[in-house]
Amino acid sequence: MKTTKNLIATGAWVLASLTSLASSHREAPLIANDPLADNTDVYAFRSPDDPNSIIIIANYVPMQLPHGGPNYYSFGENIRYEIHIDNNVGTAGDDIIYRFTFHKENEDPSTFFNVRLGMQNLKTTYTLERSIDGGMTFQAIKLNGIVPPNNIGARSIEGGAGLNSTYAQLMANAFHATSTGETVFCGPVDDPFYVDLAGVFDLGDLPRQNGTPKDGLACLNVSAIVLKIPISTLQKDGLNVSAATSILDPDFVIGVWASASRRTMRTLNADGTQDYMGPWVQVSRLGMPLTNEAVIPIGSKDQWNGLTPYEDLANIATFGNYFYNPELALYMDDDLFGGAVPAFAPLRIQRNSLQGFDFGNGHSGLYPLKGTAAVAGTALDDAIFGTLLLPADNSPRSVDLWPIFHTGVPNMRPYQLATGKNGDPLAAGKPFINNFLPNGGDMLRLNMAVPTTDRNSPAFSPLGIVAAAVSGLTDPMYNATASLEFIPNMDGFPNGRRLEDDVTRIELQAVGGVALAAIGLWYDDYTAGDPNPVTQQLLNVLTYSTGVDANDMPFQGAFPYVAMPHSGTGECSGLAISYTQPAVLDPSDGQVGMDNLSGGAMGLTAFPNPIGDRTTFQFDLKADGDIRMEIYSVTGKLVATPFVGKLTTGTRTIVWDASGIAAGTYLAKAVDAHGVLLGALKLTKQ
Amino acid sequence: MNYRTLLVSAWVALSALTGPSAWASSHREAPLIANDPLADNTDLYCFRSPDDPNYITIIANYIPAQLAFGGPNYASFGEGIRYEIHIDNNTLTAGDDVTYRFTFTKTNQDPTTFFNIRLGQQNLLTMYTMEKSTDGGATWTTVLTNGLVPPPNIGPRSIEGAAGLGAGSYDALIAAAVLTASSGETVYCGPADDPFFVDLGGIFDLGDAPRQNNGGIVRDGLARTNVHSICLKIPISLLQKDGLDVSMASSILDPDFVIGVWASASRPAMRTLNTSGYTESGNWVQVSRLGMPLTNEAVIPIGSKDQWNAMTPYQDLANIATFGNYFYNPELALYMDDDLFGGAVPAFTGLRIQRNSLQGFDFGNGHSGLYPLKGTAAVAGTALDDAIFGTLLLPADNSPRSVDLWPIFHTGVPNLAPYQLATGKGGNPLAAGKPFINNFLPNGGDMLRLNMAVPVTQRNDPAFSSLGIVAAAVSGLTDPTYAADASLQFIPNMDGFPNGRRLEDDVTRIELQAVGGVALAAIGLWYDDYNAGNPNQSPVTNLLVNVLQYSTGVEANDAAFKTTFPYVASPWRGTDI
Repeated sequence: MKTTKNLIATGAWVLASLTSLASSHREAPLIANDPLADNTDVYAFRSPDDPNSIIIIANYVPMQLPHGGPNYYSFGENIRYEIHIDNNVGTAGDDIIYRFTFHKENEDPSTFFNVRLGMQNLKTTYTLERSIDGGMTFQAIKLNGIVPPNNIGARSIEGGAGLNSTYAQLMANAFHATSTGETVFCGPVDDPFYVDLAGVFDLGDLPRQNGTPKDGLACLNVSAIVLKIPISTLQKDGLNVSAATSILDPDFVIGVWASASRRTMRTLNADGTQDYMGPWVQVSRLGMPLTNEAVIPIGSKDQWNGLTPYEDLANIATFGNYFYNPELALYMDDDLFGGAVPAFAPLRIQRNSLQGFDFGNGHSGLYPLKGTAAVAGTALDDAIFGTLLLPADNSPRSVDLWPIFHTGVPNMRPYQLATGKNGDPLAAGKPFINNFLPNGGDMLRLNMAVPTTDRNSPAFSPLGIVAAAVSGLTDPMYNATASLEFIPNMDGFPNGRRLEDDVTRIELQAVGGVALAAIGLWYDDYTAGDPNPVTQQLLNVLTYSTGVDANDMPFQGAFPYVAMPHSGTGECSGLAISYTQPAVLDPSDGQVGMDNLSGGAMGLTAFPNPIGDRTTFQFDLKADGDIRMEIYSVTGKLVATPFVGKLTTGTRTIVWDASGIAAGTYLAKAVDAHGVLLGALKLTKQ
Repeated sequence: MNYRTLLVSAWVALSALTGPSAWASSHREAPLIANDPLADNTDLYCFRSPDDPNYITIIANYIPAQLAFGGPNYASFGEGIRYEIHIDNNTLTAGDDVTYRFTFTKTNQDPTTFFNIRLGQQNLLTMYTMEKSTDGGATWTTVLTNGLVPPPNIGPRSIEGAAGLGAGSYDALIAAAVLTASSGETVYCGPADDPFFVDLGGIFDLGDAPRQNNGGIVRDGLARTNVHSICLKIPISLLQKDGLDVSMASSILDPDFVIGVWASASRPAMRTLNTSGYTESGNWVQVSRLGMPLTNEAVIPIGSKDQWNAMTPYQDLANIATFGNYFYNPELALYMDDDLFGGAVPAFTGLRIQRNSLQGFDFGNGHSGLYPLKGTAAVAGTALDDAIFGTLLLPADNSPRSVDLWPIFHTGVPNLAPYQLATGKGGNPLAAGKPFINNFLPNGGDMLRLNMAVPVTQRNDPAFSSLGIVAAAVSGLTDPTYAADASLQFIPNMDGFPNGRRLEDDVTRIELQAVGGVALAAIGLWYDDYNAGNPNQSPVTNLLVNVLQYSTGVEANDAAFKTTFPYVASPWRGTDI
């Protein structure tokens, strides 16, 4: 039998060797029909190349075909695109809001092309405003921000009849500094998200059980808002990250969410114009990835999009149970519908963890501990967090999924790694996350004090915190003590979200109970007291993959980090078809051409004609050159090519064996190297 | 050597050029509708049913560029939208003679799941009511209720699987959605492969179709994407203005059998958002329309596209001051003329408009075309005679394409000189020639006009060509079977675009050829390299050959059409692409 250490090392290795649902593309019925306002993804991470800054990326307008002309996709007018930041439990609502409003102009309304002769139609510019008082007042911090044109193709972007530039240059021209110190880019980019959409929404066939996984968002663009913001601008007291008391300093947690709002009233006019008026209504929002895609059921999705995170708690009676007893968990439980979703077979929720705790939907989870001495002083103590984490019986995931999505996770018992807990999940263990900011619901929460993991480091993993937890539990470098130390990927999802993070995989693993396991609520095949908790069931969860593990394009090492948009004429612009354009003929000279039935200017004749099994063509060649003689059927089908080659000036003959040709009428045609017709003749085969 | 012989000599060579052989017709064609995909009308087809020639099939497609895996809320027809198919069949009655209206509702059978289909239940299950008006929209009769729209073709687990619908196959779901209206029409509403084919990326990169520097590769930008189709199969007697069956037609070009078809989508004028949805109220406002393909995509410039979408064809003539010139002097023609921007669009080099046809007529933008003939004895008795059609065809000088592009899009083409093939004209384009089209219905503007009396070219006939009327014209000019005299006879592909539109028709190619002057050539206004003074020269010159062999390279759809209703191919399956 292998030693515990070997077993743990095996688990860690398998995990390290592996590396990924659309986050929120078309996620709710109504917003799916309003693509311009459809928020697809939000990212928040510390800049890997400038760790004093935070990058926030909010993407909109899903599934843009790079070749979707003539009116290529872009941000919409009459929409407020907003990025909201909460940094202080003590203040209600947003502490900082960035609001983007876009304006379009046709520089040349006389063409149907988007770009022509240096002019651009639907040319988009924006105003960026900022509020630091919860939206009461806004200050414009960037006017006339440029949105680059769509990456239409070489003729439009680089050509003399187009913009005569390069796409990289056009993109760089759109990097702007605000008056308050942020760097900003708004424009089309490759969609950084990756997911096998077809598989997952075919009743959870992820990874596909029959067939090859496919990244459904590969080759598609989105419209991105990218902000680079000094940490001191985001920290509630204006502190720089160097002032953090620890890498999990609770004062450096921010919650980020994005939204799109429209005016209440839209009026369509008979002349094809539209008017907008009335107060603004939120139509799309996004904090944590996949919340409204795969947690909220269809009957509640539109309502969810209309709420702010600050309203989530008030609506917990409607939405809480989608997290306490999530639909996805039905498919990871053999007593429920586990058998109906074979792709999730490696994901089996703890039904008998530590031979006492059942986290299956409808069961008790940790509720039996409520009010007991065992949870005193932990986050599960009603005296500390009220009843949020143990609200009621039969709500088993109130202790893991609900807080991950709604409050962030505090660095407090039981939310520490099992390392150092000596088998008691409620004991103090090794810290690995603190993004607790219980001010509002669904937000992406990032502790800005956590150092970055270099994207080129061998330790970098798209599994984010799951990878960090595995290291903290199994890597001898980190599992020796319960002390707080930086473990690679502690800067990853769900502590913020990096572009690389495989949030689909992480969330499916989380629904499968991996966070419970990390804190010592091991899988059913672990017997409490055994030395090795890295059981086969845990390995199954850790090695679970959707089959689509990375984006189709590499990310950039510097701002704006997202990849350039796919070109409208590149590999992603449709199904390739081979086609060779015929040579364009010079104009006929008014004399030469297919002159007449007796052979044209070259005096083409055939003897005999009508022909038997063979005939001899004769003609008078006026200049040396490449000659091709072809025979066509009456339906225009090429049936024979009696001659291809060079001939010199003079009277020339070609013998043609017509024995394989059916009786009927044919045309013999001679052309030169440019395809210019030299002579043609009607033939009859007997 | 006579003229006919000269033409016939070119026939075989041309046949080689016009064999089976794209531009999205109207996908995302105008700024506002591009942002309202549910109401975006992409294409309209109208053809005599090849398997049942007593019927006309009309297909209107909506919701462009759907990715088959676009879940969890797959695209379908929208609620709160009137999808309409309009038919005009009588010049004497104003507006529509027959209108079909489709309205859709959606139901969630299981609101507790985020999956679209689970355990036999379907969310966003879409049903429709079909209404019909035969009095120009004054009154409506419901002819079908609870019409079923098939679910999206998600994948085998959702469609055939036990945890899904447990259907026999997706095609079985389509078959179950082929319904019969109480008024005799057969109807299908549901997802389908987009039948259109076009190199979108190339063409909108400043007209790079076919792509010039792409290693012999062009790309069908709509391959593997779905649309939502409304397919109608209607007895000809229901469409003919006097209720006649096609057997009563006086000829294959009987003018009484012409219909004009257009489609639209309308929304209520007012939308009010509330916290979890919206309400709608007010008058219905048209937000999308489609008659001829590509009109609003590549003829109307961006500054006028949204307005165009809001108008009916019956308003086009009243707005001719705004829109007429886009046809008289089309933007695309700028790129087919070496005196203008021809040099800037190398892909169009094979397309060069007549600047000196018959050594006398200049059809370049801003030039006179046939205007110098206005009011002369030469045009007396022809369609160009002001006494016959008024001033529509020769409205003003410097409007050269008022005689070809404008009527093709706005009135249809009458079987009247000069709109007959050069065959039999003896070199005079204004003389009577061989009839090849009559879809004249000058009642309103941009519609797809079909003469229902024209026989069907079977799709598996070797003579079938995606070049439609262009192929028929080539045959009528050069094929000895048809070019012997000027008599009216059926020439294969006379049932093709722009006499209606078949699914196979390569309308992008045909329209680019038309802008390049091919219709003018067909009636005897030959290209510049034809010397009218040389009795020994064939009019089938190299410049004509260049136009006829011009192709975008994307010449056919990526999925095979069905031979029976609904003809469109089944939608791509999410897990198959």
